[in-house]
Amino acid sequence: MSARRYTIEPRGLASARVRLMVPLLSVLAALIVGAGFLTLTGNSPWTVYSRMVDAAFGSGRGFAETLVSATPLILTGVAAAIAFKMLVWNIGGEGQLLMGAISAAGIGILMGDGVPAVIALPVVVLAGAVGGAFWASLSAVPRVYLGTNEIITTLMLNFIALNLMNYLVLGSYSPWRDPASTQFPQGRPIPDAARIPEFFHRLDYGLFVAIGVAVLAWALIGRTRWGFELRIVGDSSDTARYAGIGVPRKILGVFLLSGAAAGLAGSLLVAGILGKMDPRSLDLGLGFTGIIVAALARLNPLAVVPVGVLMGALNNAGPALQSIQVPSATVTMLQGAILIFAVSGEFLIANRIRNVRKEEVPGLPPGEAAAT
Amino acid sequence: MNESVWVLTIFAAIGLGTPLVYAIVGEILAERAGILNLGVQGMMLVGAVGGFWAVYQTDNLVLGVLMAMVAGALISVIHAFASITLRVSQIVSGLALTIFGTGLSSFIGKAGTPALVGTPARNQFGPILDGGIADWPIVGPLLFGHDILVYLSWVLVAGASYYLFRTRMGLTVRAVGEDPASADAAGIEVSRVRYVHVMLGGALAGIGGAYYSLVIVPSWQDELIGQAGWIAIALVILASWRPWRALFAAYLFGAAGRVNFTLQTLGFSVPSNLLAMIPFVLAIIAMIVLTSGKRARLLGAPAALGVPYSREQR
Repeated sequence: MSARRYTIEPRGLASARVRLMVPLLSVLAALIVGAGFLTLTGNSPWTVYSRMVDAAFGSGRGFAETLVSATPLILTGVAAAIAFKMLVWNIGGEGQLLMGAISAAGIGILMGDGVPAVIALPVVVLAGAVGGAFWASLSAVPRVYLGTNEIITTLMLNFIALNLMNYLVLGSYSPWRDPASTQFPQGRPIPDAARIPEFFHRLDYGLFVAIGVAVLAWALIGRTRWGFELRIVGDSSDTARYAGIGVPRKILGVFLLSGAAAGLAGSLLVAGILGKMDPRSLDLGLGFTGIIVAALARLNPLAVVPVGVLMGALNNAGPALQSIQVPSATVTMLQGAILIFAVSGEFLIANRIRNVRKEEVPGLPPGEAAAT
Repeated sequence: MNESVWVLTIFAAIGLGTPLVYAIVGEILAERAGILNLGVQGMMLVGAVGGFWAVYQTDNLVLGVLMAMVAGALISVIHAFASITLRVSQIVSGLALTIFGTGLSSFIGKAGTPALVGTPARNQFGPILDGGIADWPIVGPLLFGHDILVYLSWVLVAGASYYLFRTRMGLTVRAVGEDPASADAAGIEVSRVRYVHVMLGGALAGIGGAYYSLVIVPSWQDELIGQAGWIAIALVILASWRPWRALFAAYLFGAAGRVNFTLQTLGFSVPSNLLAMIPFVLAIIAMIVLTSGKRARLLGAPAALGVPYSREQR
């Protein structure tokens, strides 16, 4: 008579323990899946994972590289987190990052040498935010004023930006292309005055800009009236309308801020480690990985920082795997699995699974319940 | 005459558009049932490497295509489970599928010994007719000069169109995509219909991927299919969720690289990077012009597309 059945019921606010455990278990589950594939292909998961931890955290240089990788991911993570929280499905972080990079490099090249760093550096960095916000506006304005679904438009704009970047450097003699590179086209370097100084191996102060943006986003959403109204919009746009909140302007605002954060990721790369806008050295996928960061951080801008470091560590560990004859794609696979488990875990946060004895099924006497 | 630039261009467009035909029709089936699957890119890649691996092992092209279908359908279950059973965000879940599928395909390609990467295909699809009517002027190559998968894609388009708009089951699918609550009330098992069509979409995307690894390229390398999965998602909109239009949309945009070559032959020079933007730009314009607000109904976008269905919450 101990037959059990499970019921699934929605729950209100999940406890802090559940909200913390689900992302942690998502990572663990992804590591287990990855271990399965590694074992199937004759690799020792233990060796692979310890090699990854060692590459990402084992040395000062390795940790610096992890933080270098984390910097853009924190920003694209914030971009996705603030948008998704308001049910604005901006999946165009990738394109907004690239437009940020294109804008930053464009302004940097336009200014040329001779502009002092106090002006050149902020202008180049902010140009990225403006470029990203502009690229987001191409989806945001139709969404807000015409009701056009932003999922498809932001997605498509990623590939337009990607092809534009390739065109500017690889496909034409635009100002973005280094005129000295004739055989193998490369991006034209921006002036040294516009470069962000490094302070620990290749790590530069851009990291603190990224963390600052995450804290600002958290404070804006959690600690201001604007953010409070924004959260109401995110919960229910009907409620927000009844409360007299201008929903379209709120959505437009958060959409543009989201684009600006992603664009900033692009300009910090250009003004930081890259020093130019170059298709061959600019990592692709940072915008999409930002969505993983946001999902695992459960859309909390502060949590985006440690999760961004974790994803940066994974990105950074990829190349190290090749030295032990393990495909670096292991990392992409793990990241995809993490996202799958993280998004699926939202189900556990929204719902409670209880197992109840059949005898306890309400409305049925024990005898009948056993008979069914 | 068969060597003329037009015949060669259209012939190439059909060949390069064929993987898109499979992927678009697959995505149309899923979206008609109300599930937006942004995992097309991942499913195509897994199908491409799966089909390639099967042919590498068995030298059997039929098994290769079957393996591609199974691989695409199996991996699509991830998205089906997350979006249908767990009712989490279809957008995030689909992207997760693409990221996972991209990583998995690359992993499979490099993990074995010898690695699949860089190995030429052991066998590949070729034209089913050689000479004879395939040499007739113009219609010869364009109608009779293809491999079997091109003809099967024509059958697929006709079949999918008939299925969606002329059969009772097709009506059921569209009902589930338009108004799942009413469909549920009418006794339709919404979840089952959605599962089946997401998996059909996965199987078809798998064939589309295998068309690259067994016909177009034919070999395996990382991200073999370029941006094809994303182009397919764009073209579903341009095809306004109709299989016949998908056929022409695919041929129109499948050959972006080839069109460049043609234009150069005719004395124009358009950079290939800019041409590659066209399907994405047109998809955005189509979205803005046609799917805004109430006009979405005219275009044929399923009303419940992307909305999780929960019986308790209707």
